[in-house]
Amino acid sequence: MIDPITFEVVKHRLWQINDEQGLAIKTISASPIVVEGNDYNVGLFTADAELVTAGIGSLVHVTTMGDAVASVIKGADALQAGDAYMLNDPFLGALHQNDVVVASPLMRGGKVFMWIANVLHHPDVGGIDEGSFCINARTLDDDPPRFFMKILDRGELVTESEQIFVNNSRLPDAVALDLRAQIGAINVATERLQALLDERGEDIVRDVMTQSIDLAERQVRDFIRGLPNGSWSGEAYMDGVRVGDERICKVALTLTCKDDTLHFDYTGSSDQVDAAVNSTISATVAGSAVPLYSFLCQGDIDWNDGLKRCIEVFAPEGTVVNATYPAPVSISTVGFRWLVTVAATQAVARMFDSSVDHRDRACPSWNSSSNCNNIFAMLPDGRRTGSLLSDHRGSGAAGRSFGDGFHHAGTVTSYASSLGNIESAEWKLPVLYLYRRRLKDSAGAGEFRGGATSEVAITPYGVNELTLKLTNTAGTEQTNAHGINGGYPGAGSQSVIVRETDVDDRLDGDTPVSGLKDLDGTLTWLPSKADEIIHKGDVYGFWAAGGGGFGDPLNRTAEKVAEDIRTGIVSAPEAARLYGVAVSPDGSVDERATSALRDAINTSRRTGIDAGNMETANPCPACGNSDGVTRSRQPMHRAGPWIARRYDGDGPNFELQETNCRSCAALIDVSEVLKQPAPAESH
Amino acid sequence: MNNSPPVSPDSRIRFSNIGVDTGGTFTDLVLIDDRGLIRTEKSFSTPEAREKGVFDVLECAARALNTSISDILSRTDIFAHGTTASTNALIQRRGARVGVLFTAGFEDTMAIARGPIGRVGGLPQSQAMDFIHTEPPEPIVPRDMVRGVVERIGSDGEIVTPLNEDALRRSVRELVADGAESIAVCLLWAFRNAEHEERVATICEEVAPGIPISLSHQIAPKMGEFERAVTTVINAYIGPLTQEYIGDLDRGLAADGLANSIQVITSTGGAARAANVGQQAVSIVNSGPVGGLVAARFLGDQLGHEKIITADMGGTSFDVGLIDGNTLEEDPRPFLDQGLPVTLPAVKLITIGAGGGSIAWTDGYRLHVGPQSAGADPGPAAYGRGGADPTVTDALVVCGIVDPDNFFGGAYKLDPSLSERAIMDRIAIPLGLDLPEAAAGILEIVNARMANLIRKVSIESGHDPSGFALYAYGGATGAHCAEFARHLGIGKLILPYAGPVFSALGVAIADIAYSHTRSEPMPLTVDRIEAINANFATLRTSAAADMQAAGIDPAECTFRHRIEMRYRGQMNEVTLDWPSDRLDPGDIDVLRNLFEAYYQKRFGAGTVRAETPLELISFRVEATHATRRPALAARDETAIEQTVPKTRPVYLRDTGYVDADIIDFATLKAGPTYHGPAVIERDTTTIWLPPGATATMDPYGNLAVIPQAAP
Repeated sequence: MIDPITFEVVKHRLWQINDEQGLAIKTISASPIVVEGNDYNVGLFTADAELVTAGIGSLVHVTTMGDAVASVIKGADALQAGDAYMLNDPFLGALHQNDVVVASPLMRGGKVFMWIANVLHHPDVGGIDEGSFCINARTLDDDPPRFFMKILDRGELVTESEQIFVNNSRLPDAVALDLRAQIGAINVATERLQALLDERGEDIVRDVMTQSIDLAERQVRDFIRGLPNGSWSGEAYMDGVRVGDERICKVALTLTCKDDTLHFDYTGSSDQVDAAVNSTISATVAGSAVPLYSFLCQGDIDWNDGLKRCIEVFAPEGTVVNATYPAPVSISTVGFRWLVTVAATQAVARMFDSSVDHRDRACPSWNSSSNCNNIFAMLPDGRRTGSLLSDHRGSGAAGRSFGDGFHHAGTVTSYASSLGNIESAEWKLPVLYLYRRRLKDSAGAGEFRGGATSEVAITPYGVNELTLKLTNTAGTEQTNAHGINGGYPGAGSQSVIVRETDVDDRLDGDTPVSGLKDLDGTLTWLPSKADEIIHKGDVYGFWAAGGGGFGDPLNRTAEKVAEDIRTGIVSAPEAARLYGVAVSPDGSVDERATSALRDAINTSRRTGIDAGNMETANPCPACGNSDGVTRSRQPMHRAGPWIARRYDGDGPNFELQETNCRSCAALIDVSEVLKQPAPAESH
Repeated sequence: MNNSPPVSPDSRIRFSNIGVDTGGTFTDLVLIDDRGLIRTEKSFSTPEAREKGVFDVLECAARALNTSISDILSRTDIFAHGTTASTNALIQRRGARVGVLFTAGFEDTMAIARGPIGRVGGLPQSQAMDFIHTEPPEPIVPRDMVRGVVERIGSDGEIVTPLNEDALRRSVRELVADGAESIAVCLLWAFRNAEHEERVATICEEVAPGIPISLSHQIAPKMGEFERAVTTVINAYIGPLTQEYIGDLDRGLAADGLANSIQVITSTGGAARAANVGQQAVSIVNSGPVGGLVAARFLGDQLGHEKIITADMGGTSFDVGLIDGNTLEEDPRPFLDQGLPVTLPAVKLITIGAGGGSIAWTDGYRLHVGPQSAGADPGPAAYGRGGADPTVTDALVVCGIVDPDNFFGGAYKLDPSLSERAIMDRIAIPLGLDLPEAAAGILEIVNARMANLIRKVSIESGHDPSGFALYAYGGATGAHCAEFARHLGIGKLILPYAGPVFSALGVAIADIAYSHTRSEPMPLTVDRIEAINANFATLRTSAAADMQAAGIDPAECTFRHRIEMRYRGQMNEVTLDWPSDRLDPGDIDVLRNLFEAYYQKRFGAGTVRAETPLELISFRVEATHATRRPALAARDETAIEQTVPKTRPVYLRDTGYVDADIIDFATLKAGPTYHGPAVIERDTTTIWLPPGATATMDPYGNLAVIPQAAP
């Protein structure tokens, strides 16, 4: 056992070395998704591929990097100092093919002492669709190639491997630099670790590594023991898996807290699909762990494999959350892996919400859809360019038990995943942004409302056409932007194209484009996966999800609602409809009108259909009575104006279910549910 | 601090440089006379009336010199100032009411704030990692003071939408009616084509004559509208207040006899003249600690050190900077406050929350030190002001390094029993350690963190710290620096004589500098040579014009040319010095080689790629006018004799208690070698020499420490 002081000193040094690995990646990378989106990570591992310390990149990579290192250990032979392997095979631990893992053994005395690895999202690694999120793929044959190659041989770049990798990409210069970023990072970490080992000796460093993981495990288990035993559900739907296939699929999760372990059971999730949105089991474990790193570990418990030891994940084989060969998986990380995190975030929030000590950590949604837009184009000089836009990170987070949700919160997988500058995007791609702005009425209503999302519109600039590969996780009909305890969902993640508009005339003139509806052209709402050409004169607009609300909106103080109106978060009509708050022309609360509106909402809530006693016979959180609840079904647009736009707010498959206390009429729950036959028929 | 010789009011002696550095607690003064003798003063800052603090410290100097302020000022050539006025106005949100003009459609640029960058950017990592509890900062401009301007410039600099002047006039009138005291303009791509911003400025001037206007293409001519907007808006926010304060001070000092206009240190380590300080007020924010680096470079010149790492530990934080061959390492995108990144040349200073007041704590699993600080109130447990948390200072007391009866020259009385109790109850017992072990453990952890920060700063930019001299200053550094220098393999450690007022020394001798940047992305190809040279020429003209405006003949200035470049498609640039004011066709390869050599050095083998073209992103010209300063003279005072040898037991983690010599700084003589274990006590700081370390004083009073004798 190492004394706590030496432990702390060496552990911090390891963390620092790994941080430097991350810095090298961010400095060299040519990819906005890495530099701005933080879609990379770095790790130091034991000789057995257990993660000792992870970097501050994306949390989805924290658990998968070790899976990939384990695959390298299995597949590589005769390791020598300075060797490194690269792999991107989702069935060997990569999240999806874009995420290339580079792993290198650190040798001491001719033996592997530990592993250094990093992973980075490359902008294009081949496959049938630009950007390699293969929205048209039906089998793994359509997906990008899966590499497993030696990339450094005793410190020298293996040119053949590099050529194979680079030549399979549509953006060879970009991936070549990104691969160098990964190699540079390995170089930096190797040198520093050798110095540390020379200074401290192998025994101490090995013990510190082992104890770091053990310590994190102990901390997580102690934390879990302080949570109530019980089960909570989480769910998320996908409304379209492939271009031309809009079937509805589901991720179903039951999270069970038992003593010092958390069990994630995905029984009930849809069968795997012939589309690239499937998630492998590695990716599902990674997606499940995300809200635990973000909300349980936070900055207090190390992000390493200690947590992985405290969770058990069961996902039936052959489902969208444990896809088997030859299912295509190139979209996984923004496909079902994303929805695994959405469902897990909801279930974890419900678990924290039921804990007296940790209710402050409950946050049921945080960027519930990755509205990813790969834009590719041929430039006038004959070069091809392409990149993923960053705007989906303008998404909102859900309200919290003590405060409103954050606007433009990035993702729950990384606190540092940011929107890029408009100028960076316009420099990289031949596009012109018409606006990027906060989307009013996109924040889910609640006592503590969700955070707002942002919307953008773009048009080609200097070229006649752009290729758009739209990979919107979900959100055209439902939102997955869960609220909690009676909070409404936020805006759904959606995309729209307006063809043959007057945009060029408008840009020349004095009447700027104020919105898509204001353009003269043909407006089409897109499904969540779409393959389109944006021609000169067309305008393309999109936004990601808003955050869901926390608690009954009628409990929000009228003053706060008035403030939201003043600052452009909520419109006056929506404030009246959802919060029952009216303001005077000067912006102050109209007390009398507010009181009348709130009374009317309360009255209307009593008309719900009697759903009998509450299943759990819990007392109503508002009035304390245990008389049971009433339930009613409502069209989706009840939650806000930016939901299911493609269907004017009410699509074929989904509706809202509102649950009220039968005694006091408080809104206890709002859920997005599949439409059913009329209640009279079902009884 | 008045260890300098008493100076008679000999009116023949002139004062070549006076530097006054106003910090949060103290206002420091350094006065250099034309013989090269330094005198220093310290007095309390007066945040409610800043000029008063400056005159207070001048009064101290006047009293010590047995003369009057106006006599001093009338004999002073250069009066330079460092101030936290702008920093505090920003952090406390006390700036002007700013009206902001963005390109229509992008009015929410500051509200969206690139998402999480605007919320957690610039915070310590542990705080940023707390996803759910870290609240966004207070906005510096309310959303309703932002207006859209109908106009648009494309990425190629072409006008896509002409400026709608009528609508603009209405917007400016509205902003003024709503109380705007200052205007910030940030239009997309204005750094490529300034036509619209310039026209906006003209119209603002027409509508509201005299209103201060900050234009993004002037304040921060770099790609990236969010950082450019933040920089421009902060400038507009603190500009009026900064100009007013500096203007008042300048006039006040002139009225008291100062002949030349004062100069103010900026975040580049250069100084600006009072007259044009408001136009670049943003560059004064966080300039406080930069003075220390300037002073280190100055002292390095005298002592023959080209590569210097600076370490400054105070009560709450530890700042590290790096100097390589006369160049101060730069940070291309510093955060001025939570969520507020700026794009502005600024000296890189990396900070962690590790100071004398840093709190040691355990969560029951691990021993942590910081980042929370007990600050000055309640302060360390030993202060007896109700602080129950053990701090680094308490650990120094328990280990015997700090003498509780002689802390800050006896100005503070410390109660060691409170230190012992705090460490015992909160650290030793929960972790199963005994008292001295726990105290020494706290010191080892904080020393290791400081060593790691120095590694980060040096290694990140491709340097091995062991090749550097470490300059340690700031009240709390002396007790730790020999230990962390040893960890880093640093052989040369300097504790400057002027250490307690080091920033003020830097302020006093900082050169006047004006820098101009232009961002014009282009490939590195022969056909762009003309464009490159045209950029350099324009920038040089602008920098020369600034000098002219400051009353300096450009012919007396040196010009430095820099290029920011990267592999095409990369997101981050590398800044390289170009040794001349123009490129010739043959230089294309030279520049590429420079780039790749730097790259390889920093990231190692296999990271360079010959097939990928390079692109130049921006150009910069810096004009510098050397501030005249005399060579420092040797101290001619005689040391006090230490009569009775004194020792004290000091606890060390490896060996347990050792008897350390206790030496009064005032008794140190130039020449002899002092051996550790020893504690050297100065009135403002305590210096710890571990066993094996040696110290010698040079004729200027600087203490050179060799952390560990060579084996």
